[in-house]
Amino acid sequence: MLCQICKKKEAIITFTKIAGGQKIEIHLCNDCASVYSDKFSIFPLPQFNINDLLAGLLNAIDLYQKEGGVIPGKKIECSNCHLTYDKFKQSGKLGCSVCYHDFREQLIPLLRRLHGNSEHVGKIPRQSKGKLNKIRKIKQLKKELQELVLKEEYEKAAKTRDEILKLEGVLKKKNAKKG
Amino acid sequence: MQKKDKNIILQNLKESSAEWINGQGPLSDIVISSRIRLARNVEGIPFSPRAEQAELKNIFEFSQQIVEKDSLFKDSNLLLLDELTPLESQFLVEKHLISLYHAQESHSYRGCIFNQKETLSIMVNEEDHFRIQYLLSGLQLKNIWKLINKIDDEIGKKVTYAFSEKEGYLTSCPTNVGTGMRASIMLHLPALLMVNGINDVRKAISKIGYVVRGFYGEGTEVMGSLFQVSNQITLGLSEEEIIDNLEKVNQQIINKEQKAREELLFNSKNQLEDQAWRAYGILSSARIISSPEAMELLSKLRFGVGLGIIPYPNLGTLNKLMLLIQPAYLQMLTGKDLDPLNRDLHRAALIRNEINH
Repeated sequence: MLCQICKKKEAIITFTKIAGGQKIEIHLCNDCASVYSDKFSIFPLPQFNINDLLAGLLNAIDLYQKEGGVIPGKKIECSNCHLTYDKFKQSGKLGCSVCYHDFREQLIPLLRRLHGNSEHVGKIPRQSKGKLNKIRKIKQLKKELQELVLKEEYEKAAKTRDEILKLEGVLKKKNAKKG
Repeated sequence: MQKKDKNIILQNLKESSAEWINGQGPLSDIVISSRIRLARNVEGIPFSPRAEQAELKNIFEFSQQIVEKDSLFKDSNLLLLDELTPLESQFLVEKHLISLYHAQESHSYRGCIFNQKETLSIMVNEEDHFRIQYLLSGLQLKNIWKLINKIDDEIGKKVTYAFSEKEGYLTSCPTNVGTGMRASIMLHLPALLMVNGINDVRKAISKIGYVVRGFYGEGTEVMGSLFQVSNQITLGLSEEEIIDNLEKVNQQIINKEQKAREELLFNSKNQLEDQAWRAYGILSSARIISSPEAMELLSKLRFGVGLGIIPYPNLGTLNKLMLLIQPAYLQMLTGKDLDPLNRDLHRAALIRNEINH
């Protein structure tokens, strides 16, 4: 196996790190290992463990997707910054916001594995507040609607339904304006 | 605000001590500091490692503007890392103002904004356009969130952030996407380590989905019984939930440490006293000392002070020393490059001076 830092010499030393319940092994040649352990006595290793973890996950996802057949719409290069998917796999870093859109097919399973989830529920910046708050409100109302129907509280359910329709109407208008 | 010379800024930094290490925050005997970091990017510009020179410059000039004009940053400075020597950059790393990656990256227009108390720092053009970080002493994540949220809003008024409905704040690394938030707490756990051993402590923490790191951040080994615990998940949870979960996990660890301390005090008080006073003895009289040895002894002394079995020095002095003894910091203080032996000599003198005060 080649050294994971210089990618030239044979790796003979293995560092093992346990983070987040995952065991990560880093294979280094003698030279790189001595550089990274002697450079500063208290900075024994730089931060490449995350990339290692990502590369491993992405490879697993690729393999899984290959077995499952072809993926429609799978891109190999970002249409905006021209980062290739292979390069992303090597570095673990995306190039621009459009990468998130263009590599979506591969990213969604990755995000699920990394975060156990693929949808943001946290803070919304000013610029998107109005629209997103409405989307979140609609989601919540739909949930309430289901519960009300189950409880057979039809009068309340009808009110909730109207509220949903109203909010959806506002959103459609906004989208139409943009389009 | 007048643009300040980098030498003056660095000189002030050498002399000042950050507020987050003063040892005055809640639960300071066990919790050294709390920290939140937000990763943010500007819409329409590739993330810094893939941005063009002109785009990096744009981001940097924007930072210059907010430091000069915005009242929230009125006591803040901005350094252009391209102008710093490797030693000076490393000094900022050791001050916890920038990451090791930020110091070593080669693209230009990398910057660092920080306030006078060194509680706020913003890395400009790291792998994300902005990495906003806020640090306070002791366990104070909720307070930090209030403060950093305001700063984030203020910057968000002036630029449009890269944000998507589904994935949230978009970041260079998919491990940060969503909230872009990493919250972390630095803990001093000497009793737990004595009772259970390092691997058990690590295992216990990492099992519940949290990352444990050394004092000096990602990829560093645990030294001086210091642990950093941070959230791994940034997507699918709100900021408040992330903070709440992290505080709960930390409370569990703190309880365990407190119990281990009581047990040790009950069963082996003499040994603990001996250990703390021996550490004091060496630190107050050694002439040559390496950083790992100094860290271990400072940790033992801190433990003794936390338990109340040794009255001095105060926690703030000990926290400060843990930072000062690092190689670049030490060389900045002495004003010259030092070989390892001279570093050990200067380190010993510095510690003696602080401790015998």
